[in-house]
Amino acid sequence: MRVVNYGLRVDCTVGTTLVVARYQVKQILKNYMVMTRVLLLALLVNMIGGMVHSQTARVVGLRDNTPSVFAFTNATIVTEPGKLVDDATLVIRNGLVEAVGSGVSIPADAWVIDLKGKHIYPGFIDIFSHYGMPDEVKDEMVSQTHWNPQVRSFYRSGDVFRYNEKEAQTMRSQGFVATHTIPEHGIFAGQGAVVSLGEGEKARLLISDGVSQALSINRSAKLGRGYPHSSMGAYSLIRQTLYDAQWYEQAWKAYSANPASTPRPESNTALAVLAGNLANRKPFIIEAADEQWVGQYSRLQDEFPIQLWIVGSGSEYRHAQSTDNTIPLILPLNYPETPKVSSPEEAMKESLESLRHWYYAPENASRMIQHGHTVAFTSKGIKNKGDFLKHLRMAVERGLSEKEALAALTTTPASLLQLQNKFGTITPGKSASFIIASANIFSKQGNVEQVWIDGKKYQVKTEREDPRGEWSFSSPEALNGAILSIEGSQSKLRGHITLEDRQVKLLNPVVENEHLVLAFDGDSLRLQGRHRITAQAHAHEMLGIGATDKGMIYAWTALRTAEYEQVSQYDEANDKHDNDPNIDQQNGDNQDGNGDDDKPQHKALELPQRYPAIDYGLTELPYQPEHVVVRNATIWTQGPLGRLEEADMLISKGKIAEIAPSLAAPHGAIEIDATGMHVTPGLIDPHLHTSILGNVNETADAITSETRILDVIDANNVWIYRLLAGGLTTAKLFHGSANPIGGQDAVIKMRWGNNAADLVMAQAPPGLKLALGENVKRSTERYPTTRMGTEQILKDAFEAALQYERDWQTWEQQRQGIPPRRDLQLEPILEVIRGKRFAHVHAYRQDEMIMMMRLAEDYGFRIASFEHTLEGYKIADELRDHGAGAVIWTDWSSFKIEASDGILQNARLLLDAGVLTSLHSDNTQLSTRMNWEAAKTVMTGVSEEDAIGLITIFPAMIMGIDQYTGSLEQGKDADFVIWNGNPLSAFTTASQTWIEGKKYFDREYDKQLQEEIRRERARIIEHILKGS
Amino acid sequence: MKHISETNNKKPGWIANTRLGGHRVALSLALVITVFAFDQAAGQLPAPAQKTPIALVGGDIYLEGGEVIAGGTIVFDQGKIVALGQEPDLPEGCQMIDVSGKQVHPGLILSRTSLGLTEISRHAESTDLSEIGPINPNVRAQVAFHPASEHIGVAAVHGITTAVAAPTGGIISGQAAAMRTDGWTWEQMTVKTPVGMMVNWPSMSNDETRKDAIEALNETMERAKRYRLSKEDAANRNVTPPPTDLRWEAMLPVLEGTLPLFISANTISDIQAAMLWSEQQGVNMVLVGGRDAGYIADQLAVKDIPVVVTPVIGGPARAWEGYDRTYSLPHQLHEAGVRFCIGGEVSAAGAYRLSHHAAAAVAFGLPQQQALEAITINAAKILGINHLTGSLEAGKFADIIVTNGNPLEIATRTEMVFIEGRQLDTTDKHRRLYERYMMKLDR
Repeated sequence: MRVVNYGLRVDCTVGTTLVVARYQVKQILKNYMVMTRVLLLALLVNMIGGMVHSQTARVVGLRDNTPSVFAFTNATIVTEPGKLVDDATLVIRNGLVEAVGSGVSIPADAWVIDLKGKHIYPGFIDIFSHYGMPDEVKDEMVSQTHWNPQVRSFYRSGDVFRYNEKEAQTMRSQGFVATHTIPEHGIFAGQGAVVSLGEGEKARLLISDGVSQALSINRSAKLGRGYPHSSMGAYSLIRQTLYDAQWYEQAWKAYSANPASTPRPESNTALAVLAGNLANRKPFIIEAADEQWVGQYSRLQDEFPIQLWIVGSGSEYRHAQSTDNTIPLILPLNYPETPKVSSPEEAMKESLESLRHWYYAPENASRMIQHGHTVAFTSKGIKNKGDFLKHLRMAVERGLSEKEALAALTTTPASLLQLQNKFGTITPGKSASFIIASANIFSKQGNVEQVWIDGKKYQVKTEREDPRGEWSFSSPEALNGAILSIEGSQSKLRGHITLEDRQVKLLNPVVENEHLVLAFDGDSLRLQGRHRITAQAHAHEMLGIGATDKGMIYAWTALRTAEYEQVSQYDEANDKHDNDPNIDQQNGDNQDGNGDDDKPQHKALELPQRYPAIDYGLTELPYQPEHVVVRNATIWTQGPLGRLEEADMLISKGKIAEIAPSLAAPHGAIEIDATGMHVTPGLIDPHLHTSILGNVNETADAITSETRILDVIDANNVWIYRLLAGGLTTAKLFHGSANPIGGQDAVIKMRWGNNAADLVMAQAPPGLKLALGENVKRSTERYPTTRMGTEQILKDAFEAALQYERDWQTWEQQRQGIPPRRDLQLEPILEVIRGKRFAHVHAYRQDEMIMMMRLAEDYGFRIASFEHTLEGYKIADELRDHGAGAVIWTDWSSFKIEASDGILQNARLLLDAGVLTSLHSDNTQLSTRMNWEAAKTVMTGVSEEDAIGLITIFPAMIMGIDQYTGSLEQGKDADFVIWNGNPLSAFTTASQTWIEGKKYFDREYDKQLQEEIRRERARIIEHILKGS
Repeated sequence: MKHISETNNKKPGWIANTRLGGHRVALSLALVITVFAFDQAAGQLPAPAQKTPIALVGGDIYLEGGEVIAGGTIVFDQGKIVALGQEPDLPEGCQMIDVSGKQVHPGLILSRTSLGLTEISRHAESTDLSEIGPINPNVRAQVAFHPASEHIGVAAVHGITTAVAAPTGGIISGQAAAMRTDGWTWEQMTVKTPVGMMVNWPSMSNDETRKDAIEALNETMERAKRYRLSKEDAANRNVTPPPTDLRWEAMLPVLEGTLPLFISANTISDIQAAMLWSEQQGVNMVLVGGRDAGYIADQLAVKDIPVVVTPVIGGPARAWEGYDRTYSLPHQLHEAGVRFCIGGEVSAAGAYRLSHHAAAAVAFGLPQQQALEAITINAAKILGINHLTGSLEAGKFADIIVTNGNPLEIATRTEMVFIEGRQLDTTDKHRRLYERYMMKLDR
């Protein structure tokens, strides 16, 4: 048809010059030829292979009724992970496996394919991909009923995926026959579908739809740039939406039961679908940016009745022991590129963390399996998907058994996707979807040659004739008896021609378009000039032509006289591998991955375990001695005992037992001679933004009280160790100050080496970060843009929270109609009003602080503290009368207008006025030297004990944790620092830092640790250099 | 506000100057308010000139090299130190000030700062640090040094009597000026200018921009040399000199070797590249920053490249480095025999923290005497002002501080400050606000 159209266009070309017309004709002819080729090819494919047609579609043209019965004989067949049958036959009929095994008889109607030396495996399933997903987001793909475009749980990849030739070819080349494809964009991105990686009409490629619900912590900019902007915001949106889905179902139930007197709830397809997903226990699948997120996400299962599948990042091994192993893990085989370390200066850029991860990444999967995790593999995350098998083999080389590797690609994904009846093994009745490999697929020689999907063949690599070996010329006359020897690698051939006692090197031998092409210097063979020859090689014979440099053309023929030597070595290797003790030849049971005899030997580095697995990670977590006694120190108790000279402190089971001179210590107590040293409580920083994953501010909205620092704590942060080195033991981690109401804070203790959840100080009362002044009004696009508006939006939020409380009270009393919706934004605000949550308010200027206190008083609550409180000294009496704490810097000022009036004497005046005052850092480096900060207040006249109070007991009081820590008093946590001098001296440093009776930092040990880190880095660097 | 009311335009000047709406107007308004605030406050009153000889009697006087005159007396007249010792002869009419029990030290020298060139860092209108374009050797810091800046008084009250105000932008940022922290005008406040030509070494971290920047540097040097050649030739032949090029004119002292380049560089590659380049160009170099200088301290010592270490208080640049890496840099340089001084922070509000940086180096190994000299005489030597200030020595300016203890200790109070013999008002902005709001509390 199209050809005709082109012709018509030529006819209709009126008014163009002849030249143009001629040109067009030429072009059209060219197009025609290309077109014909494409059509012919398609026809050919159609006629031979048979497109997979929809069963309901009309047949156009002739019907394809080619019989489809195949018998694959003499193959080594791994029918399922760990079960290998030698010299076996596989019979498939009409897309299904009919029989498999060693004694299988070949049906008379089967087309027999001899696979001697080849291996067959069940086809691989990629359980997490975005295969065939559209790149662009169109309007109709975004919810019109849910307020947030990131929520499009209704979106089904089954509806939108398209066959993608290029992607499918790459995936098939790695042995994949099917994939669970997931929509890419959105926080509730939509539902996954399992699709075949074959070609054909979509109706036949879609295996199952609506399989899973995809979640993400990253909003997609393609869906808009609105809320949320941060990881903690996204986490909150996930939680709120799941609550909304539960509510939505209840609301409609209530409405359906009594439509006459119930207001109709909103209609929301996104929530309706989610409610269904929850009810049907559909898996929720979410990608974790590192191993810490696995822990963070797993908490969702505690809160909601959902089943999670977590897609890992490749670093999960770092938390192998502590990760919930009931959650299926989908692991990528994405190993970091080899660090560039040949230049010592470049090598300095590599942290121990990155070097260690480079070394350990290939062991990720096997370590997780060892710890009992269900693991399936994804090809995602590998830069070039064509390297998947290479990476898989590396994992096998590094401890993963072949059985485990195969299971992670076949039976495990099949059963997770509930396709175990059709996929995952080569079993009669299941889909004839399998891999034919040239050898053991886990060995380097095991190339995927074909995959068969539903009984249809997909050639992966055209079998190339190997010209290597020895060939004897039979013509032309002049070359008769000459020997052509070709060796080298397939991609880099070399060799020579020998004629009697003379020999010449082959010049540029290559295989091009299935032809061997080379040149040689004829003179050396007593032929004249330079010769170029080419030939097609078949197993035993080459037919070709040659040309001399004078233009003479001649034909030549050669017969193979010897196979390429290394080929036979391959065969040997293959045979040997077939007897791999890993593979049980009998029944496939009782296998493990320990028999490494046959695998390439990997020289293990045996690096120590580190907690966390980064620079300055400890090789073991600190232990808690039964008793510790610190002797003969100047002890700043910061309690009623004041500062004691030459005193002893006894710690028992992590608590302070007694402080007195010359204590009698229990038997076996660890004795620390602290003569000439000082001991203070562990330092406390009530305002820090370190160790937070993702954005510190949820900037997308003015009120983001639903966000929680708890969800985004980063325990893999070397600054935790550095804070310990400065004597800091406790800190409050805050949301930023971009919003009038920011987020919920978390108090952590610097329990270095523990996971995020174990850093959290569980007893600490919860708090909420609020903010006033320049930061919150800076955005020109959202309310408020003035301090006036700031008051009003706060008031509005407080009113809403109270209304929320009333709504629930009404519901609890009446239990009629539609229940109120749980509102994660209003709940913490209500807690603040009801005194169950501390209000910490970022503020600089006195006017805004007075506004805030009066507003709080109107709603009946107290401000726990103002944060920064630059102008606190201007309203010391007002602060004192309200009972607000003042959290301040010593000397930060003038970096913005509202910071103009910061003064060094702020603490001095506030303390004199009786305001509960604390120093803070708001800056991680500053937080490593809070004792020096305190010394600045001494310069302004604050007493030494109060100065230490500003960084210990006072912040503890402001945070409401003073009954646990902040002073050295009997019964409190043994959080303390041993200093090598007066802690207020600029020449003093922390010698030891203890938390709950465990020593987390020791300056002597630090010296050793610095040395260890240096050596460990050097060992890995040497390992890399030797490898390259 | 005066300049506004004098404008002929009916609208206030700040509106006349902005053709646009709300946004710019708001900014200009902020500027006016800022300027207004400065005019109101204008720092503490500059000290009155020294009218009579003054003797500080009975204090411990700390000399260069570590010698201490215990319970000694130091005498200064007409702004210069005239005598010091156990009981030096006192000139006639000498005012005696009892400082027994106190320590007497030379005023501290801040060897690189934005002090005087910026007030509120987030407000571009209050900041004159970075001229447009990459090559600005001709701009001079002293002419933008704002005598009324509140931060100058704060720094002075904490013992800093000399501060090197330095431009920061582009590749060649301009000329740094050594300024005293007291005076009515920048002319009165100038100690020596220029003390160095500020250069930001193009960082190795970005290869493309680095190549361009180094080319620009080389091009600058070549042009400056061509200019000098042409000038010399004209002088020799007694013909009309080439038309003045302000930039290359400013580079002449650099080419003569009388003005060092203060090159900011931090990584090993950058420092080494700057060293090779300076040698090749035949110019004197002072390294500023020098984060990684510890790794190549021996090279710096052999080539005798002085270092302005800044800052000392900071975290390590690399995860694997020790937590104390930055703190121990001065000690490392000292051990290797590198000439260095300690430069504190760039920030104007943080200028007063100079001694904290020196003290932190002591906490991590540097001997106290070295730390003190790193912010006094050794800074003066690197800046080429050691004949004027930096130690207590007859003939030098009477830049003197009296403290109630070790001046390196953060908790120590600086009780008296003399600059050129003038005794400073120690009621800086902080104290002024403190006293004001104590009144609110007391009422």
